[in-house]
Amino acid sequence: MYIEDRQDVINACRFCFMCRHLDPVGNVTFRESDTPRGRALIIDRMRMDRECMKEPDFIDALYRSALSAANRFHCVSHYDETGLVLAARREIAGAGLAPEKAKALAKELEEAGFTVKGKGNVLYYGEFPALYPGCKILSGKDPGKALEVLGFEAASKKVFARFKKTVADSACKTLVVAEPSSYDFLRDKLPGVKVLHSAEYLLEQGAKKARARKAVYLESDFLKNYCGNPSAPRELLKALGYTLVPFGTNCEESYAVGEGAVVYDALNPELCQKLCSRVYGLAVDCKKTLFITASPRVRDALKKYNPAFNVVTLEEAIDAMQS
Amino acid sequence: MTPKNYLYEMVRSELTWAVGDDNVQTNKADQLGHSIDYYWVPELWHDRGEKPTEPDFVVHPANTKEVSEILKIANTHKIPVTPWGGGSGSQGGALPIYGGIVLDMKRMNKVLNIDKVSMTATVEVGINTQHLEWEMEKAGCSTMHFPASIACATLGGFIAHRGTGVLSTKYGKMEDMIMSLEVVTPTGEIINTLPVPRHASGPSLTELYLGSEGTLGVVTKATLKIHPIPESRKFHAFLFKTMHDAMTAGSKIMTSRLRPCVIRLYDETETAKLVKRVLGIDRKGAYLVFGFDGPGEMVDLEMAQACAICEDGALEDLGTEAGQNWWDNRYKFFYPPYMFHMPQAFGTLDTVATFSNIEKVYWAMKNAVNENFPQATFIGHFSHWYEWGCMLYARFIIDTPPQDPNEAVALYNRIWDTAIRAAIKEGGVINEHHGVGLKLGRMMKELYGPAFTVLESVKKALDPNNIMNPGKMGFPGKGA
Ligand SMILES: Cc1cc2nc3c(=O)[nH]c(=O)nc-3n(C[C@H](O)[C@H](O)[C@H](O)COP(=O)(O)OP(=O)(O)OC[C@H]3O[C@@H](n4cnc5c(N)ncnc54)[C@H](O)[C@@H]3O)c2cc1C
Ligand code: SF4
Repeated sequence: MYIEDRQDVINACRFCFMCRHLDPVGNVTFRESDTPRGRALIIDRMRMDRECMKEPDFIDALYRSALSAANRFHCVSHYDETGLVLAARREIAGAGLAPEKAKALAKELEEAGFTVKGKGNVLYYGEFPALYPGCKILSGKDPGKALEVLGFEAASKKVFARFKKTVADSACKTLVVAEPSSYDFLRDKLPGVKVLHSAEYLLEQGAKKARARKAVYLESDFLKNYCGNPSAPRELLKALGYTLVPFGTNCEESYAVGEGAVVYDALNPELCQKLCSRVYGLAVDCKKTLFITASPRVRDALKKYNPAFNVVTLEEAIDAMQS
Repeated sequence: MTPKNYLYEMVRSELTWAVGDDNVQTNKADQLGHSIDYYWVPELWHDRGEKPTEPDFVVHPANTKEVSEILKIANTHKIPVTPWGGGSGSQGGALPIYGGIVLDMKRMNKVLNIDKVSMTATVEVGINTQHLEWEMEKAGCSTMHFPASIACATLGGFIAHRGTGVLSTKYGKMEDMIMSLEVVTPTGEIINTLPVPRHASGPSLTELYLGSEGTLGVVTKATLKIHPIPESRKFHAFLFKTMHDAMTAGSKIMTSRLRPCVIRLYDETETAKLVKRVLGIDRKGAYLVFGFDGPGEMVDLEMAQACAICEDGALEDLGTEAGQNWWDNRYKFFYPPYMFHMPQAFGTLDTVATFSNIEKVYWAMKNAVNENFPQATFIGHFSHWYEWGCMLYARFIIDTPPQDPNEAVALYNRIWDTAIRAAIKEGGVINEHHGVGLKLGRMMKELYGPAFTVLESVKKALDPNNIMNPGKMGFPGKGA
């Protein structure tokens, strides 16, 4: 069903080797099944022989993807490789064949509820309300993106309906979202509500240079590869006095340790640890260099496997400069 | 997992003992990925719902010692071992046609040393060549190896196939880039070739392994030349009325001993089709582009001389912009949808010959394809130029090959045989930089004549149990 709709992507990727150098998981496991070509071959087999949909090794490979979209971004014709994997996950989960761990996660995520507190015309959804005086604060877990990425479409829709109602009930016409995956999920889904990423909003509010400091900005999979690479996060950091220094071997590879797969660490902790180790390995000095990420999830993963790793979120970095 | 049989379980336990559980894969996903490389035949089989042969084990060694241990295990049990780099080879070289062990080299990807005094680097050859180039660029230098498959292939794969990059005309093919190699022989000994490529201390062992396609051992490390980033690199393009006029100009540039980093000449058909589609240059004739790099003044001087040669016979000076456009989009030709793809049947009939013979080779191949296979289109460009001749990157394309996979493969093989034989007759060879593999092994005896027995004797002596990539490069298959 869903995968047939992506036949053009299957045809393009199944025999193509041109972006494999950018697959974050392939770059740490070295497995052919962790490349866009490998995954497209698997999905093509599933398309040709529906029985293959039940093959646990195939399912496992598709749930190992970090969905970084660095490959799609690199691709000359931007074939939607991650969209293809998501389509396959939708079919797998729809048939009740998702890995047990994914099912358990989905159960947890389905429970998400949302509340609004405070006063104001702007609604803020994130972990750092102190930066948003005069805004209403929306609290709650993932708005449906994680479920969508795991393939649980109906459950994702249900959670999102709850989220949408909460936003509507708040009567705010502007929603500021901090977590990039949620921003990507929500930005086209709330008619009549202007959805901003927190960096855009804070930049609009005006940022004053406090002092000079060097930092590495770890690009976000969602902001860079899914949302057209807005300049706001970098502009904001620069305006505050951060000098952003380049990191890694190139500017195309994703160092976002599974951000694209939203709940990657919960689903594939060993792989997430490997992705983190690659980042630690590329860092000149894990303790001295300051790393800034737009995603609290990325910060948590990088801290989990090396508590000494000096990483903060964008909002924490702003707060550090302003206080 | 349920044990398959005693031998299988024995081998599996020995392999996991050697490299660790995580690095021996026996799962369906990796088996599928390793059953198809960039050879058209397994792609066709997959497309038609057939299942190409899969390996029993995919093994990822971390270092030379582990490679040695794996080969010793394989020798004990007489199991075939097929090295796998990026799987981007077009000749079926990395296909495990007898099952057994696929030795995936990608985990051996470290840069071990950069010697800025001698301008060399020592690396593990499982490194992806784009990653290698990025590492060199970080150190302020370059490999100058820019193949269209830079992002897909490993250095080991290029060594195994004597591969080449866009700037080969100045910086050479893989065989010119390598200083020395570390190799694990089929019986598991670790050897090093001499540290320098120019010497009079016996024949070159390095050369023996360059192009050996995993049939004589596993290459584990290489020391290669590296280069400073040139101060200037410029391109220029011309349109000629005919391919012959352009070839005359190109060969003049080379025989006058100017040193372009690249020359590329597209025949009339490819100019009309690919150059138009990818670069947007819509002209009738043959498109010739070349470039120079190095110190700015030298680049300008050489460029002026090369342009003067071309101005003599060109139909139109397309200028520097059309040249730069080609360089900027040089890899675009290979991405979908620009690259040929299923259901089309296509093959790259690359060959090489002297300037005296190269046009004869081109016409012999083109006529052989056109006369015998009217359903096929023949196109070509000349990619890699030497002081004495150049390489022809010819292709045949059939838009709708037979639906039956066996019929389609038979037709495909017939075209190859016919075109390659025509090339050999006129002074060409069976391949220039993609190698022999499974695809062209059957023609090695024909190409080499009695000299092939020398290669066969080397193979027998080095690999008494015929475990290394059996059935490739014209060497016997398993059980032969
Ligand atoms: C889109 C595209 C464009 C291409 N453009 C070019 C180009 O510009 N220039 C060019 O030269 N080629 C090109 N190729 C072909 C291909 O990239 C080369 O043949 C390359 O050398 C293959 O490298 P690999 O690592 O993918 O090797 P594989 O395909 O994995 O293996 C190729 C052969 O090498 C052997 N091998 C691999 N590693 C080792 C090792 N460590 N020791 C011993 N044997 C080994 C394998 O057994 C096999 O026989 C292109 C391919 C594609 C898909
Ligand atoms: S995303 Fe593009 S470059 Fe990557 S495998 Fe697919 S077609 Fe090739």
